[in-house]
Amino acid sequence: MTTTSLAKQKLSVINTHVVNIDGIAKVTGRATYTFDVKLPGMLYGKILRSPHPHAKILKIDASKALALHGVKAVVTGKDTLGIKQGIWRRYQELCDEQILPVDKVRYIGEPVAAVAAVTEEIAEMALDLIEVDYEVLPAVYEPMDAMKKEAPTIHEGVERNINVTRHIEWGDVEKGFENADYIREDSFFCGGQAHMCMETRAAVSSFTPEGKMTIYHSNQSAYYLQALMAGVLGMREGDIRVIAQYVGGGFGGKFELDGAIFCSAILTMKLFRPVKICYTREEDFIATKRRTPMHYWVRTGVSKTGKFLAREARVVSNGGAYTGMGATALYLTGFFHSFPYKWGGYRYDGYRVYTNTLPSTSMRGFGAPQAMFCSEQQLEWIAADLGLDPIEMRRQNGHTPGYEVPGQAYIDSCGLDEAFDIMAKWIKDKGKLPENRGIGFSAAGFMSGGIFNWFDTPYSFSSAVITINEDGTVILHIGATEIGQGSNTTMAIIAAETLGCKVEDIKVHSGDTDHCPADLGAWGSRQTLMTGNAVMRACEDAKHQLLEFALAKMGLNIVYDLDIKDRWVHIVARPERGMPWEELVKIATRGKDGQRIIGRGYYTPHRKGMISPAYSYMLQGVEIEIDKETGKITLIDSLTAHDCGQPINHLGLIGQLEGAFSMAAGYGYLEYMPYEDGKLMNPNLVDYKMIRATEMPETPVAEIDTYEPEGPYGAKEAGEGLTNPTAAAIGNAIFHALGIQMKECPIRPHMIVNALKEKAEKDKTAKKGK
Amino acid sequence: MEKKAIVLNVNNQDYELYINPKTLLVEAIRDYIGLTGTKRGCETVSCGACTVMVNDMAVKSCSILAIQCQGMKIITSEGLEKNGQLAAIQNAFLHEGSYQCGFCTSGMLMATSALLKETKKPSKNEIKESIEGNICRCTGYNSIVRAVEGVANGKYKEGSL
Amino acid sequence: MAFKCPACKKQWDVSLQVARHIFGTGDKAHRAWIESQGESYADLLVQQATTPGNASYETVAKLVEKAQDKL
Repeated sequence: MTTTSLAKQKLSVINTHVVNIDGIAKVTGRATYTFDVKLPGMLYGKILRSPHPHAKILKIDASKALALHGVKAVVTGKDTLGIKQGIWRRYQELCDEQILPVDKVRYIGEPVAAVAAVTEEIAEMALDLIEVDYEVLPAVYEPMDAMKKEAPTIHEGVERNINVTRHIEWGDVEKGFENADYIREDSFFCGGQAHMCMETRAAVSSFTPEGKMTIYHSNQSAYYLQALMAGVLGMREGDIRVIAQYVGGGFGGKFELDGAIFCSAILTMKLFRPVKICYTREEDFIATKRRTPMHYWVRTGVSKTGKFLAREARVVSNGGAYTGMGATALYLTGFFHSFPYKWGGYRYDGYRVYTNTLPSTSMRGFGAPQAMFCSEQQLEWIAADLGLDPIEMRRQNGHTPGYEVPGQAYIDSCGLDEAFDIMAKWIKDKGKLPENRGIGFSAAGFMSGGIFNWFDTPYSFSSAVITINEDGTVILHIGATEIGQGSNTTMAIIAAETLGCKVEDIKVHSGDTDHCPADLGAWGSRQTLMTGNAVMRACEDAKHQLLEFALAKMGLNIVYDLDIKDRWVHIVARPERGMPWEELVKIATRGKDGQRIIGRGYYTPHRKGMISPAYSYMLQGVEIEIDKETGKITLIDSLTAHDCGQPINHLGLIGQLEGAFSMAAGYGYLEYMPYEDGKLMNPNLVDYKMIRATEMPETPVAEIDTYEPEGPYGAKEAGEGLTNPTAAAIGNAIFHALGIQMKECPIRPHMIVNALKEKAEKDKTAKKGK
Repeated sequence: MEKKAIVLNVNNQDYELYINPKTLLVEAIRDYIGLTGTKRGCETVSCGACTVMVNDMAVKSCSILAIQCQGMKIITSEGLEKNGQLAAIQNAFLHEGSYQCGFCTSGMLMATSALLKETKKPSKNEIKESIEGNICRCTGYNSIVRAVEGVANGKYKEGSL
Repeated sequence: MAFKCPACKKQWDVSLQVARHIFGTGDKAHRAWIESQGESYADLLVQQATTPGNASYETVAKLVEKAQDKL
């Protein structure tokens, strides 16, 4: 590249081919996860779990376990402060979970006691020697049953087991339905889903005599875990260091307290030796949390030309035993159920109900996959009922740039219209399909980080500190957590672009509460926009300091301005005139009397409503084949049309979209969590089916070029939102292939076979009638 | 059970171990030898995170006893790199973005390395079948398939980045 | 005409909105007001959750309308 092109070139690092900066560590086996951590003198912990869905703990006798050679300690709820905690810290009544309950268990698998021993094997043997007397209580598993008058009370003082309700309304719903030419009502059920992170929950806690705690923990937000642990241990946040350097996946399941971190901490505080607890796969299935199962009832009114006049939706969700992030999922499902459309009137009532099952919480998509499964299928059926083109019907109601979701959100960038063009062309090019094949698509949108401060953090939502060494190398400290989504690389790209150096100049430190500024972490698709803004601002701060010295050194006429690109500090109008980056850094460091240049930046969204500062838009198309005899679904092809604003980390973006597709398709037709009497029937990877390599279709992505003013360099959400449309797209493909309507997900083979039978019966009767 | 002394050859290095005969190969590699690049993700031989190469064949190291592997050549993800030079498949993974959280990556690398030892030009289906027993929750697999194709067609070679 | 919430005195143009606000807030004061009118807050909530239509809100909206004179 010649230097003369520098001034014109807008971006030199962003959206280029950048290899993930953690890549070498990950492809050579060097990356050390919590699962791999081994400290001197470390003990191994195991957790005894409740076999009952609902029971009072009367007595725990650990004397036999303690007598076993090699066992160092056994702890129960009585060894804790007994604090009821929850991640919705702002609301005391939603802090309802003791990780080691003192007097009552509420689901099968809930921790009851924890053992530390010199080996994992001995700890496991000790579990069998702990005697627990329970008084088994009547239990309830389904939210509709749990709301009945005669249902057992799961949490004292919570009437009818109703944990949270959420209500959203705008426009005139009644008038909309009055004016509607066609009204359709449907009921749906969307199942749970396991996060199934490849690294199960794991923690190594080490408490030392000066009263300080260090915890290695596999999580999505080191800061949240630090703050939550301080709360339950009665310690100051600053006395607890949480390290989450390499994390084997999160997907919404790793930013609350879990048994591994809590029990290892209680044990190490008793023993002053490091204690490691890693969940088995079975424990990870039965005793973490899951995607929220939801019963949806939807009533939609449209004009005969397909204008969306009114919608009313009601959700009853199975909250399981505790709140977790469930309150957020309950709100977001209701909000995104309206997406990505303009409604004359919209009303949502959501109820989250406690049951004696595994707690439900956030999972990639955060309630929106359920919302879209119901919304986008019903819209497809409405289009068919009215003989309308499903793309054009949706397009005329779609969000557009500048739209305000009344009282909820302001939409700045929106590439939905172009997505419809791309999808229409893909479907048209497919032409006539072979028998038993169908194409379906679904629209969706998603947020770029949440605004509502339910955690009650006193800190800005994201912050970054950038330090420039005398030799031009750069250290970036961010509190964001890298869980595989590529945030470290994304932030390095933003830093290199802003400073004008190269990605290889930058080291990123993240996920360590002692060394990194507080950041809410990796959830709700927040890091690219929020942490990205903080990083950009920190780099602008540092760059400004550097350029002051460059201006002084170069002694230019005041009308000239300077910039830095690709390690070249230059006059914007005369890019060939300048000096190398390293030289300027040296000058500036000397000019600062030997201080390193440090830039600071932070970001908290303001004046953007209560939900999110920006929204991504997408359409997911799928082509499937169905075996009518067995009901088996095969994914044949797919197309993703996606608007994430300006892509930052191109390789990361494609990976996130492909990965979202596999998880979302799994939710659509494979990933099923059957419970019997409160017990999960398939807590292992033989029986819990998910997408394998052989089941993946091609996943081409069409990126739509938009610019989001609130995001760094125009960027917004990517990677979580695409979990939302896919289950509905599969449902719609089945509808077009076979004419059957699937109202429950995951859509399992027997459901297709039964629906085909019913349809054959109906067709027969209809024929006879004629 | 009485402990036994065995010799395991891992990444061209002999390790003398004194272990319980029922010790799994994955436990020997991770807990006794201390090579933690090989991961574990289940107890049911279903996830493939612990895949290593034993005599050039992909083996889930949780499905075999360490003692059975005496006299065999075991290669883990740490053994792919030679003196700081990455193997072609590692370069391919880097440039195709064939990993995200990285927890399945070692297993994926070993499963696909074994395939490429056996078949120089595998078809797309053969590549997919070679990693059918390996779960990746992040990538959706296609980037891994692209990486193997890239090695097979010579796009990626061994060496530094 | 404007309708006031009998529990906290916030006001809206439509009585149904006040009813939605009462459910949405759902704190002790609002629950207590519904109970004082001889209705069960929990029953109304469950009815709204489990049956199509808007009967629970309409019931409370009527109570709100009746209560306006006394506010």
